[in-house]
Amino acid sequence: MRELLLELWRYRELLWTLVIRELRVRYKNSFLGFFWSLLNPLVTVLVMTVVFKYVMGMRIDNYSAYILAAYLPWTFFQFALLDSSQTILVYMPVIKKIYFPRAVLPLATTFANLIHFLLAMGVLFVYLYLYVGTPLQWGLLLLPVVVLAQMLWVVGLSLIIACWNAFYEDVKYLVSVGLQLLFFLTPIIYFSEQLRATTLIPEAYREPIFWAYHLLNPMATLAMAYRKLILPPITLIYENPAMGEAMRFTDMPLPYWLLGVNLVLGLAVACIGLAYFHKKEWEFVERP
Amino acid sequence: MGTLSQKGAEIAIRAQNLTKEFLLSHQPYSSLKGLLLAFLPKRMEHIVALKEVSFTIHQGETVGVIGRNGSGKSTLLGIIARVYRPTSGSITVNGRVAPLLELGAGFHPDLTGLENIYFNGVILGLTRRQVAERLPEIIAFAELEDYIDAPIRTYSSGMLMRLGFAIAAHVDADILLVDEVLAVGDARFQQKCYRKIHEFQEQGRTILFVSHDMEAVRQVAQRALWLDKGVLRADGEVNTVIEAYLQEAAATP
Ligand SMILES: Nc1ncnc2c1ncn2[C@@H]1O[C@H](COP(=O)(O)OP(=O)(O)OP(=O)(O)O)[C@@H](O)[C@H]1O
Ligand SMILES: [Mg+2]
Repeated sequence: MRELLLELWRYRELLWTLVIRELRVRYKNSFLGFFWSLLNPLVTVLVMTVVFKYVMGMRIDNYSAYILAAYLPWTFFQFALLDSSQTILVYMPVIKKIYFPRAVLPLATTFANLIHFLLAMGVLFVYLYLYVGTPLQWGLLLLPVVVLAQMLWVVGLSLIIACWNAFYEDVKYLVSVGLQLLFFLTPIIYFSEQLRATTLIPEAYREPIFWAYHLLNPMATLAMAYRKLILPPITLIYENPAMGEAMRFTDMPLPYWLLGVNLVLGLAVACIGLAYFHKKEWEFVERP
Repeated sequence: MGTLSQKGAEIAIRAQNLTKEFLLSHQPYSSLKGLLLAFLPKRMEHIVALKEVSFTIHQGETVGVIGRNGSGKSTLLGIIARVYRPTSGSITVNGRVAPLLELGAGFHPDLTGLENIYFNGVILGLTRRQVAERLPEIIAFAELEDYIDAPIRTYSSGMLMRLGFAIAAHVDADILLVDEVLAVGDARFQQKCYRKIHEFQEQGRTILFVSHDMEAVRQVAQRALWLDKGVLRADGEVNTVIEAYLQEAAATP
């Protein structure tokens, strides 16, 4: 593992060049290109807000901010995995000509997506703290840890997916479908508190299943963490007391231990991803 | 990057009993459906691309590699560039290797020539700063001054080749691998490439030159390797080896 990391470090110039290249292509070489790329998540969140607030009756103050705080990290997760699954096949003509640690390819895509995500979060912060006037919280200081944890998960998973997709080209479709399902299973358009109180599960099992689920779905923990660190506790507006049980919940503080476990698991997944990719990289270059 | 041992050694490349087998499955392999089918009895074929090949190339030599289609020439260059691992036997390479990247390999069609120079320069082992220093030279050599800020997809195949050769020629590689790419350049640029290759020879660099153009091989190489179905049939003075190869080509219908 140490040697692997050292080799990647020696190829950092290549990694960086690939990251720049990716961002250039994404932003079409223009400064405006970045803002243009924000349009998609903004419109999506706008539509979600309208639907959930005014059609489904989710009465929560500043609802769209809560969605954005979880949806931007989600898009990072989603696009990093989808984009990097393609990289090996895209670069196959180069891979077959010269040696370099092939892990730099999915890694570069992941880093480019990370940079894009951080820029988008910057825009969200400007909006929240300068425009809306959301109070700053101490929890914000923990945000780098959450980003690191997410990055570790994304690196590990994208290496594994990129590797599989190099062998079986339809893996990316499965991943895309899987991500769509995971989106609804992750508290992004709803709240962790609602997940905890879901009537789907008998009351006796709710708590253990709730926590176990957060160990399995890293994005559930991370979405919760981003929200609670960036934004104040949720305040419900009981305009319509006839709304169902699921709409009546009280804010839950962020369980820090869960974030710690998520970070450790992320580290493990990143190491497994690197080792697995390294084991397989000599096989997929021979793919005709 | 890519340096396996210290520079200045006499031997540039040494292959000992080099064998490379590829596993070729006849089932569709690149889909999950293929994976399911793979549980059925498999029809896997071993393709021996190189068979017990041994040779030694010293620094400063220019060696032509000839042979029929599918005889293992590109595979040999791939092993030298550390793309493939040998199945058995060993390969020792001293110095930095720069393959002349295939037409457009690694070029991003939407990016400009300039941006693509960075990527190809760095992948061949330069730092970004070194690429920046050599930019004027590379662009001048490729004679693409007027097109360098245009996206690569607007380039002709000859222009792509010129850019590719110009980059590979300016990365200070110790060993240059040329696989069948010069043919698309126009006559004048081909001459320019050959002059550059002569320059490399004078600087004592090692060149492996794969081509089906026997005149070109005669022109640049002093020595030739003849690969036949993965077996090294001949290794020696370029004219002798080419004669033997052409004679056999004439003899087999
Ligand atoms: N990745 C691979 N998987 C399976 N077989 C391969 C692979 N690469 C090459 N081969 C096989 O190995 C043999 C040698 O191929 P190679 O590309 O080295 O030939 P070549 O001498 O370069 O031919 P050409 O003159 O046409 O370029 C061929 O039979 C080819 O089908
Ligand atoms: Mg070939």
